[in-house]
Amino acid sequence: MNEIAQRVRTLLSTRLKLATAVEGINDDTPLFGPTGLGLDSIDALELVLGLEKEFGVVVEDRVTAVKVLASIRTIAEHIQSQGKG
Amino acid sequence: MAGDPVSLLPHGLSFRFVDRVLEIVPGERVIALKNVTANDPHLQGHFPGNPVMPGVLLVESMAQTAGLLLPEGSSAVLAQIKEARLRTPVIPGDQIRIEAVRRGGLGDLHRFEVAALVKGTPVAEAEIVLAVVGPNAEGRP
Repeated sequence: MNEIAQRVRTLLSTRLKLATAVEGINDDTPLFGPTGLGLDSIDALELVLGLEKEFGVVVEDRVTAVKVLASIRTIAEHIQSQGKG
Repeated sequence: MAGDPVSLLPHGLSFRFVDRVLEIVPGERVIALKNVTANDPHLQGHFPGNPVMPGVLLVESMAQTAGLLLPEGSSAVLAQIKEARLRTPVIPGDQIRIEAVRRGGLGDLHRFEVAALVKGTPVAEAEIVLAVVGPNAEGRP
């Protein structure tokens, strides 16, 4: 799980232009919204495409994306639940 | 082909930068043509005596071509232009062949890889994200 979370962290830093150093992002830091990293919908699309490429996991729609992309932990859990990683 | 797909674009004639569709696999990929002529009004001023198709309008024609892959009746706006390269000036007499492939999406956002060629030579390429707006949009995340 920790290894998957670390790979997700790497994905965030390579695919997105983050204002925060990726090492400083907690597993539970909200990725979206004013209390977190403040990512937007274009970042979400970038992440979804990155997850498909790097882990082979598919995020079908917006509703799923909102749940899965909440934090590094939720992304890692989704990857694990799909038997990927 | 029943009906001209270009006529399905929401753009009015004065802002349509695609002339004809050569091939289309709905939702997947499309090849379209744009003829550049000295009569194009935007070439009168860009530049007087030295007409060159403005790069932003070349990107617009690439975006409109990509837009042909959206569900019928959709209006969309540019949301992201990545890795855009404008390699060679496009001038009157050129016929631009624009090839767009859909590469995934999420909600109202759709990502495309688009290339433009003149006589087989690449003149431009870009990764373009379009956002569906208006009545056909799902809404904000």
